[in-house]
Amino acid sequence: MVSKKVLLVGNFGVGKTSLIRRFVLNEFSEDYISTIGVRVSKKIVEFENQQVKLIIWDVAGTTGNEKVPKAYFLGASSAMLVFDVSRVETYLHLEDYVQTIKELSKLKEVTIVGNKKDLLTTDELEKVIDKINVKVDLVTSAKEDDNVEEAFVMLAKESIK
Amino acid sequence: MVPTKIEDLFIQLKTDFSGTILEIEAGKFVADQLVPKNSIYELCPFLEASLEDLPLHEVYHLNTMLIVVDTIEYNVDLELIRAIHDVSILIHDRSSVYKHVSQLNQNRNDLILLKRELDLKNTELENLKIIAEKANEEKSRFLAVMSHEIRNPLNSILGYSEMIATEAEELSIIRYANFLTRAGKNLRVIVDDILDLSRIEAGRLELIEESISIKEVIENCVNDFRFQLKGGDLAIQLIEENTLPKFIDGDAVRITQILSNLINNAIKFTQKGIISIGIAVISEDESISTIRFYVNDTGRGMTQDQIKTIFREYEQTQARDQHNKGGAGLGLSIVKRLTEAMKGLVTVESTVNVGTKFSVDIPFRRTHLDSVEYVKSEELVTIDLIGKEILLVDDDRLNLTIMDHVLSKEGCALTLVGDGQDALELLKTKRFDAVILDINMPRMTGEELMRKNDLFTEYNKETPFIALTGNTGKTDQDRYVVLGFFNVLSKPYTFVKLIDTLKKAIYKA
Repeated sequence: MVSKKVLLVGNFGVGKTSLIRRFVLNEFSEDYISTIGVRVSKKIVEFENQQVKLIIWDVAGTTGNEKVPKAYFLGASSAMLVFDVSRVETYLHLEDYVQTIKELSKLKEVTIVGNKKDLLTTDELEKVIDKINVKVDLVTSAKEDDNVEEAFVMLAKESIK
Repeated sequence: MVPTKIEDLFIQLKTDFSGTILEIEAGKFVADQLVPKNSIYELCPFLEASLEDLPLHEVYHLNTMLIVVDTIEYNVDLELIRAIHDVSILIHDRSSVYKHVSQLNQNRNDLILLKRELDLKNTELENLKIIAEKANEEKSRFLAVMSHEIRNPLNSILGYSEMIATEAEELSIIRYANFLTRAGKNLRVIVDDILDLSRIEAGRLELIEESISIKEVIENCVNDFRFQLKGGDLAIQLIEENTLPKFIDGDAVRITQILSNLINNAIKFTQKGIISIGIAVISEDESISTIRFYVNDTGRGMTQDQIKTIFREYEQTQARDQHNKGGAGLGLSIVKRLTEAMKGLVTVESTVNVGTKFSVDIPFRRTHLDSVEYVKSEELVTIDLIGKEILLVDDDRLNLTIMDHVLSKEGCALTLVGDGQDALELLKTKRFDAVILDINMPRMTGEELMRKNDLFTEYNKETPFIALTGNTGKTDQDRYVVLGFFNVLSKPYTFVKLIDTLKKAIYKA
């Protein structure tokens, strides 16, 4: 079985840890505990008759001014950039963020996921997505387990391309 | 040789590219798994899928990684060097350092999130404030319009009741007319209070600064009440404690309003006895005199708890008495707000069943006025209106009739018309000693007529015009002055006020 290192990056508090916990352990907590350093989880993903072991790096959230250390991207097969649909500062400079990740990681594509969709109405969500000038691949809710599996499958597919 | 003390703080080992530990070179880590032949991925899962990608012979740093041993998390920094056949790995335990960093990080993020929440709440509050201000403005506008609409019929009620009281011969009719007058005046006070409060709340209270004789303002106000209380169980006395400045800069209407509200309040809660009104200069410097007005009654007094609430709007009935004493309960609130607007202070002392004393201290700038510019009330008595040509312009027939009646008695030669257009035609061909001009009229308003004043300069260039209006705001009144009006007569007016205003206009002209 092939092992693939994948990274979740994004501003602090966007729910990267919550997405991983939901995906790996099917758990969710309302408590916000800021991640320091890198926490790694593993999960086997099956799609199109193949299995991929994802080595998921939960990288500490940034405040927007700091860059994710380049060393973290060593050997990474794909990356997910997570933002919070309810916090404008987390998606205001997405385009720049994507560019930086591509430069650091040498990845050609970055999966872009908007989390916490449960906090907005459908109309509000549409307005947010319209405002963002990069293509958002999926909107998720770790809290309500909405589109979480799909986001990681997308990430896994990207990792074996 | 590795010092014992730091044995647990680092470990140096070698692995192959599949992560199998080949040898421990130095140091020791807390975990027992880090022994030859075990996979380093057991403890360092983050290395999986990375080792082969390491650059050859370069030191590669991986900082702030997490290792979990028996559910305890350790923060570690790693140095990796890839050789041709293996990888050297040095693991440093940095838990003690990162424990503090972690807390700082959490605190920083919490602060940022809290700040954001605070910003959102502030925005929400700002929006609510805008909505509330808009609602308040709407309310003020509504009250202003309603008050204006009430003033016109009230003017007729007061005018006719005064006429009946003056001319009736039967005592009971005079009594009833006086009751009607009193009720009308109470209603006027309520309308004025509501309008004033709405102006104050909307920040639109504009105080007039003009030279006034403070002594005369107070005396006139007290005399009005003295007349009202004549023959009852309640007496009123004015005590002038020391010499007052002859003229000060102030707003006579507002000072009268403060004092009237305090006296009215004293009358309401005093069955019999004496209401003492005092006036004194309590401090002076080169240009400012701080003047104290006080109203001391022998009424039922108040408890300390009642005193705490008396300056709130609509508070009077609960706070002062179980009986409804009439009024909207706005008087004392307006006293406080007007006093504060004049940079003054209102205080109250009270003892149950003994009485209450309200004191108002206001600083006024002293002025020196040429006596020619100032017309004292007693001087007005000597001015004669007999034979004066007065043009009365009003579309309200009732008001016109009242003015006709009052001024005819003064011997004026009156001409009555119903709108500005008819007035204009007359002004082009005949000279008048004064014109009393309503503002809101069909065909041509009073303001429109004044804008056409170049059409009647031949006969009426120097004629004083008096604006007759229910618009009592200072902005409106200032606009009338700019348009060329000599003075403004607010509805509802008293007969005395009507005659005095006309006399002043003719005297000045």
